Amino acid sequence: MPQSADKVLDHAPLFQQPEYKEMLKNKKVKFECGHPDEMVKEIGDWSKSWDYREKNLARTAATINPAKACQPLGAVFAAAGYESTMSFVHGSQGCVAYYRSHLSRHFKEPASAVSSSMTEDAAVFGGLNNMVDGLANTKALYDPKMIAVSTTCMAEVIGDDLNSFIQRAKEAGSVEQDFDVPFAHTPAFVGSHVDGYDNMQKGILTNFWEGQERVANQSINIVPGFDGFAVGNMRELKRILETMEIDYTFLSDVSDVYDTPSDGTFRMFDGGTKLEDVKAALNAKATISMQEYCSPKTLEYCEKQGQETTSFHYPMGVAATDELLMKLSELSGKAIPDSLKLERGRLIDAMADSQAYLHGKTYAIYGDPDFVYAMARFVLETGGEPRHCLATNGNKAWAKKMQALFDSSDFGKECQVWAGKDLWHMRSLMATEPVDLLIGSSYGKYLERDLGTPLIRLSFPIFDRHHHHRFPTWGYQGGLQVLVKLLDTIFDKLDEETDVPGETDYSYDLTR
Amino acid sequence: MADALKDKIADVFNEPACGTNVSKSEQQRKKGCAKPLTPGAAAGGCAFDGAMIALQPIVDAAHLVHAPLACAGNSWDNRGAASSGSILYRTGFTTDMTELDIVMGHGEKKLYRAIKELVAAHNPPAVFVYSTCVPALIGDDIDAVCKAATEKFGTPCIPVNAPGYVGSKNLGNKLAGEALFDHVIGTLEPEECTPYDVNIIGDYNLSGELWQVKPLLDRLGIRILGSITGDARYRQVAMAHRAKVTMLVCSKALINLARKLDETYGIPFFEGSFYGISDTSEALRIMCRMLVEQGAEPELLDRCEALIAEEEAKVWADLDRLRPRVAGRKVLLYTGGHKSWSVVSALQELGMEVIGTSVRKATDEDKERVKEIMQTDAHMFDNMAPKDMYRLLKDAKADVLMSGGRSQFVALKAKMPWVDVNQEKHEPYAGYVGMIDMVRAIDRAVNNPMWAELRSDAPWDDPLPATTVMPAHKGACPVTHIPAGVNRPVAPTPPRPARAEGPTGAGFAGLGSSETDFEDC
Repeated sequence: MPQSADKVLDHAPLFQQPEYKEMLKNKKVKFECGHPDEMVKEIGDWSKSWDYREKNLARTAATINPAKACQPLGAVFAAAGYESTMSFVHGSQGCVAYYRSHLSRHFKEPASAVSSSMTEDAAVFGGLNNMVDGLANTKALYDPKMIAVSTTCMAEVIGDDLNSFIQRAKEAGSVEQDFDVPFAHTPAFVGSHVDGYDNMQKGILTNFWEGQERVANQSINIVPGFDGFAVGNMRELKRILETMEIDYTFLSDVSDVYDTPSDGTFRMFDGGTKLEDVKAALNAKATISMQEYCSPKTLEYCEKQGQETTSFHYPMGVAATDELLMKLSELSGKAIPDSLKLERGRLIDAMADSQAYLHGKTYAIYGDPDFVYAMARFVLETGGEPRHCLATNGNKAWAKKMQALFDSSDFGKECQVWAGKDLWHMRSLMATEPVDLLIGSSYGKYLERDLGTPLIRLSFPIFDRHHHHRFPTWGYQGGLQVLVKLLDTIFDKLDEETDVPGETDYSYDLTR
Repeated sequence: MADALKDKIADVFNEPACGTNVSKSEQQRKKGCAKPLTPGAAAGGCAFDGAMIALQPIVDAAHLVHAPLACAGNSWDNRGAASSGSILYRTGFTTDMTELDIVMGHGEKKLYRAIKELVAAHNPPAVFVYSTCVPALIGDDIDAVCKAATEKFGTPCIPVNAPGYVGSKNLGNKLAGEALFDHVIGTLEPEECTPYDVNIIGDYNLSGELWQVKPLLDRLGIRILGSITGDARYRQVAMAHRAKVTMLVCSKALINLARKLDETYGIPFFEGSFYGISDTSEALRIMCRMLVEQGAEPELLDRCEALIAEEEAKVWADLDRLRPRVAGRKVLLYTGGHKSWSVVSALQELGMEVIGTSVRKATDEDKERVKEIMQTDAHMFDNMAPKDMYRLLKDAKADVLMSGGRSQFVALKAKMPWVDVNQEKHEPYAGYVGMIDMVRAIDRAVNNPMWAELRSDAPWDDPLPATTVMPAHKGACPVTHIPAGVNRPVAPTPPRPARAEGPTGAGFAGLGSSETDFEDC
């Protein structure tokens, strides 16, 4: 056998050994009975044509490779950002395993969440018993300070009413009457993870604020929104707020939850917004959301409590950060310190230094609506053209906003917005109207391979590259990170295109 | 310094073909034409660097630097001289001399062994051996080593005696030219000679600029026999003595070589440039005329004119499409060895306003042309220290600076869009098509949206809206001496100090030349 203790082969080279190659080839020949290679190639080429694109865009029922996740994932993410909080997803347990693995694979950290593990009898007779037993078990097993309840489709289809279930569970003694069990209905068949995030946030705030008296102070609440770069971004935003000496409260802070040290202690719960801080947050002067599409209901609720509210679209790049800082300054009455102005100058300096390489580059961008907006805006700032902007969970209002963004720049003339489309649509778009670079999540690697367009991983989930989420993309510092990622990819591509000795390597230069 | 090297340098400085040199007094001539170095002031590259730059584009040769690691380590593959074939020239060969080599005098032996290993491993058509400060100071005789190695291994080993301390980069260029003349040129005969063979000296095919011009020569049936040293092969340089005409591109650095080819082999030379449309046409015209004088068929002149007419019409038609992107923009040129006027006139044709140009290293004739085109000499300046340039850029209100890499960061700090037009640039701007590349680069530089952010202040520095409450004043006003207090009239918006109006063009003459040349090329 090719594997030997003297030289143990990794997975990739192992199955390239002749025995295995033969085995895999035989399988194809004997069992696949497939079409000849030429025909596969021919059809493959046709599937990159305009003809196929039109058929693809006419698709109404099937979604292929959706660039979105379901509501409860967003709810679990939001709940994770609170002190010692266990997410309890009412419904079938398989869904919850997915949320945990999704978050774990992205953040490279344990992600805790439990399920009421409904079975067929629960579907027939209702899930109340599962709720009653589940809350009690969760409390007993994991000793959380709060249990945040959301739902999977199963519970939603049979119409379980969380409010009354939780009441009855408390009456049945599952948990104490005053134990915090906020909840949100998060059916996956409505909206996406950004809506689940919003619903859970509203649920948690309602749990703590309802019926309380508000005594306004000068502090500012921050709703970060669902974000794969949350660890780096929240720390960066905190640094900015502290530099400006602003009194703030993060409503859901996962930065320490999804980044715990390896020091011999397993932390079931770590970090997160303190529960008393959430209570006190009712008194804040204002609540601002970093991501508009992650927070409409939450902000509406805050506004009803008498707070000022504002939202941003993922503050990335120069102008977007400017807006955020000026709003913070306006709300807090604190001046923007010179240190931040220096950071701004440095980011612009970097953009100027690399301008010749960034100018006129074309991009395809996909992800959550706020991210796509921010990314396109930053690309426009560098003189690039975000030709295809796609959000599977983007709606008509978002598309309109994107169009307005394109219209505001000379570089937006040939840019198109694709709301509600998926990554198989993106394949057709990129095959017929190619771009220089693709920005998205790990799932974009198949488009990268298929179409030869380099992928820059900047949105959730990133499974196949490690630790990027620890560095910010927000603010001027974050803008610099993003800029470097763009440039690295541009230069890698340039090197790759000029590396044939004696043929293209006249441009394979040491200095760029 | 070895006597031979001393004599060589004296010889190089006494350049009869150089107008500046001829007009000097005997005493001045002895001092040489290199600018004296100012200890403590920023300076450009050394003679070794200059020699390396001139010879490294011979792409199939091995370039072996006899030195401690520094010389090869710092200069390894630092120029974008493009090759259509071998990449051996990009490999950094050095003897990496150590303390022991220096103290014990092992340098020569090590060099010999290095040549042996190099020839065995790569079998190059030739090895260029560069002397540097350390072996020159301890007296390593690279000429002797090269002679012995050539005899032993049968591969020509060419000593390049240009240790850094002898002087500037420009001197190094000249010494490299001498090395070529003494050891390379004339050592091989071409299989056939034609009346259409030319040498091009001083173009290094940076970013492929020679390739932008070569198709034009191909269409005229003109062959570049000796390329010194753009995309050159060793054998090509060795046969340069059989060309009929030499074109000396852009720079006077290798004029000694051009003159010696003339004196020894009877190859007349002319100075020309491929930057700008009219310069390109002019260079082609002169080249053809001289070839005809040397025996080519006179119909070459007609073909040349036809080609020029066709190419000029084509490039202007192309440029016209870019005109709206650049028309009305103000350009400041700060170039090195180029003859600026040709580029100036092309930019003006495109509706750009050239608000100043450097005339460094330009001849009096060139200066006259610039004056003629720009209608005044107030916009010409020589060398400039960074702080002067910064001031000029801040005040001149230009839209874009075109200069070499070393001014890039000065330009950016002065919030000035910048186009690289010097040696280290990454895009070729030569010949007719090169103008399209250049105008594209200007378009890209001036129309990038980032400049708006760069040039404006941070948005929160704008005057505060009247509704915003300003912090209370403290202390007395330094002008009126009215103390702060409740009765003090407070303006809701502090008046912004008016921007000082800088000189808008007429003031360049006063900036003059600086002692320090930051644009050494």
